[in-house]
Amino acid sequence: MLGCRLDRALSRVLGVFKWLALPIGLLLFLQWPLREYVHAYSREANDLGQWMFALYVAASVTSATRAGTHLATDAFARRYRPSTRRLLTRICNLVALAPWALAIVVASTPLIVRSLAQLERFPETGNPGYFVIKLAVWVLAVGMLAGIILDFCGARGGDRQ
Amino acid sequence: MPALGLVLLALVGMTLLLTGLPAYAVLIFAAVLGAGIGVVSGTIPMALLGTVSTRLFNLFESDLLQALPLYVLMGALLNRLTVAPAVVRTLLGLLPRRPGTPVVAGLGLGALLAPMSGSVGASVLALARAVEPSLRAAGLPTPMRHASIAVASTLGVVIPPSLVLILLGDAMLSAHTFAVNATGRMDRVINTQDVLRAAMIPAALFLLLSLAVGWYSANRRGGGALEMANYARPKWSDMLLTLATVAFLVLLLGGVATGYIFAVEGAAAGAVLLMAVGLLTRQVKASMLGDMLTESMATTGALFAPLLAATTFTLVLRLLGTDKLIEHWVAALPGGDLAATGAVLGAIFIAAFVLDAFEIIFVAVPILIPSLLIRVPDAAWVSSLVLLTLQASFLLPPVGYALIMTRGVLGAHVPPLTFAKALLPFLLAQALVLMLTLCYPRLVHVLEPADAQSRGPSAPLRQEEIEDRLQRMLPNLAAPGIPPIDVPPLPPDLTPK
Repeated sequence: MLGCRLDRALSRVLGVFKWLALPIGLLLFLQWPLREYVHAYSREANDLGQWMFALYVAASVTSATRAGTHLATDAFARRYRPSTRRLLTRICNLVALAPWALAIVVASTPLIVRSLAQLERFPETGNPGYFVIKLAVWVLAVGMLAGIILDFCGARGGDRQ
Repeated sequence: MPALGLVLLALVGMTLLLTGLPAYAVLIFAAVLGAGIGVVSGTIPMALLGTVSTRLFNLFESDLLQALPLYVLMGALLNRLTVAPAVVRTLLGLLPRRPGTPVVAGLGLGALLAPMSGSVGASVLALARAVEPSLRAAGLPTPMRHASIAVASTLGVVIPPSLVLILLGDAMLSAHTFAVNATGRMDRVINTQDVLRAAMIPAALFLLLSLAVGWYSANRRGGGALEMANYARPKWSDMLLTLATVAFLVLLLGGVATGYIFAVEGAAAGAVLLMAVGLLTRQVKASMLGDMLTESMATTGALFAPLLAATTFTLVLRLLGTDKLIEHWVAALPGGDLAATGAVLGAIFIAAFVLDAFEIIFVAVPILIPSLLIRVPDAAWVSSLVLLTLQASFLLPPVGYALIMTRGVLGAHVPPLTFAKALLPFLLAQALVLMLTLCYPRLVHVLEPADAQSRGPSAPLRQEEIEDRLQRMLPNLAAPGIPPIDVPPLPPDLTPK
């Protein structure tokens, strides 16, 4: 039950984040004519694109896990039984990915909280939104942990964003 | 504890091969294991491990990495637009009706589209869909079809402005900065434009040789001209689309190579243009957009995750002191700079049997290349050699990554020895270009602007040049009434002869 709810919530979140690819492309394209011809707002476009990019790639790791697109060399492992491969994945989740994601949450929290409290701005331009880049590290780690929990609940969502 | 890092590197290779787990998960596993042993043994202070979050912040604010989702989006759009089949039909229609024609068309398509697709695997998929039917229709034997597609899929590794090149540019910038700081040399640090320019001549040489080899081999082994009747004639729209694609890529490449636009802006321009074409021609419909973006996001995650993992893994290796050990080994390699370069390239070549280009760039390059650049100052030359080595290793039988992917996608079984024979002419062409680049470093500097050439990486600056640069770096101090900076004389061992 909890797994299903988490699965649906994760799908919805990823379903929203995937649309960020369009404004990222547009903003990063626009910074060239803005710089060369308008001579203004190029840095604003870049900064806006930057924090959208941070959120997008942070969420994309969980998206890749759910879609099963992570790069792997399975020249030998393709001969293994599905149950063996699933066991290997769970062991790796338990001994490596979960501790790593937890360590990231613990190590980054003081920096993120400070940045959020100040609504930190981009150091070079003073534009708002720099704190979102730091927040993206949380998005990454929490997304990975949610994916691992879903895997253990047996409610891995697949590609349903 | 530095040796533990080497054990971890070997463990990564073995675990990747034997478990089939995703590369990013294996790297994180090795990093967690290494960090655990390091902390327990007292080698790594716990507080230093916390710096990994700072490294992740740096990745998220990297300007260059913004190109990654844009290239992936371009790849997804290209798969949905009729660009690839149109280019193939046009090339088949324009070239003489011989069995070698589809091979040349396939390599041509690879040269055009592979730099825009995400990886070797993605290129194999696109080429198998667009080119394989034509190769089959021309009556080419299965091994030759497999070889053509495998070679074409690796063109994206060496032909600018590919994602591999852009990411290598970023890794080389870090490695070169490290080497310059470590040695105190006054070299200009290499950037993405330098890497793109350096790769152009070797890439063009390889493409020309591959086209010649493919044409000759296919004509010698093919089924004859009669089967060419299977080809559909290209329409005017195909030719226009091909022309527009070539023109766009030439403009993009030219703009990026000359520094007029940044690589990220080039990728963004490509994505926006393809999206506009897709929407206007109704080849991309609103109903397809959601699925396409889901696919793009999942592919972006697949490419970004190894980068996150490698960032953690290389931090652990540095904390264990493995980078210093490798630096010491590279410095102690006998036989001059050429031998040292050959040894490091050999290590990358072996790594490429189990790692994709992106994983090598994220893991092997940060560990091996700074040490090499401390000894060999020509970073542009080293970057081109790394690219050519990567490409060669993807094609080397029996376990080259492109070969495994081609076998997996095309399905038909080809005995390894037969496949190797079909690949041999391409491998010889590859070896020739690699040897030429290794023996004639000038090849990679041909397209450099004159001012970059005048600042050769290994040429030490004269005392007056150093003074001049310092004065120019601090223009406010050169105001009237303020005396010039007093620069102490160079030590005798650094004074140019």
